[in-house]
Amino acid sequence: MSANTNARKLLADALSMPEQDLPADIRIGSIDQWDSLAHARILLALEETIGKPLDAAEAATIESVTDIAASLSRHAKTN
Amino acid sequence: MMRQPSARPFNCFTERYVLRSLTPADLSDRWGGWSADPEIVKPLNIAERRMSKDDLRRYLSRFDNVSKFLIGIFAKPMSLHIGFYAIDTSSVHATANFNIVVGDKSYWGKGVVNETRSALLDELFEHRGIEKAYGMPLARNHPAVFNYKAQGWKLEGILLGQCKSVTDGGRLDQYQFGMLRSEWRARKGRKS
Repeated sequence: MSANTNARKLLADALSMPEQDLPADIRIGSIDQWDSLAHARILLALEETIGKPLDAAEAATIESVTDIAASLSRHAKTN
Repeated sequence: MMRQPSARPFNCFTERYVLRSLTPADLSDRWGGWSADPEIVKPLNIAERRMSKDDLRRYLSRFDNVSKFLIGIFAKPMSLHIGFYAIDTSSVHATANFNIVVGDKSYWGKGVVNETRSALLDELFEHRGIEKAYGMPLARNHPAVFNYKAQGWKLEGILLGQCKSVTDGGRLDQYQFGMLRSEWRARKGRKS
């Protein structure tokens, strides 16, 4: 599966939404479901997937499905 | 003789909340219990300890409503006390440093912070001479980070190992988010 597909799946799980209902360009603040608690769930799910805590600089960049996909790709290469 | 600045307690409201400076009449076991809840205090790097009314009274006495403000968040229509802001201002630098606690967990994830902080930013920027607001959440306080980002604050810096953890003594990273008055006005202009 591509990083983008994995990112959408991660988001759908964290937001408790069907994957097909996620907007293609979903990002922080773009839908009500991505609220403060969901943001915590997203980052924790991302850390669980990559198997380690994100450092503060990388965590700060996570604002969209694209950012999540980029993080997954980056860590797939380094694992 | 130099005139002392007079106290100016906060009193403003939003659609769902009232924001006003806390007074000794607001001391309660409910408020004191928030500091004993690890889910509430851990993201703030505060040791868990129930605060008695005397503890709260001493804490409240640090805020003078001149440069330091302790502002309660009260949910309408019953005026239920659900949290508070501790805001330190500097008249020299025209800055305001925000700290926020939503102690009633049933209000988490309901947009309390950004609805109420918006009203406080309006008050500070338009009526109290503040030119810059800033907040410094721990990097692991993801809900707080979300709120700053969703409200359009700029991430100005990452302070690595800035704090010592009260739970395990490890070093904790902190972010600094900032909002200039000009940025807030521009953002409001775009939205209206």
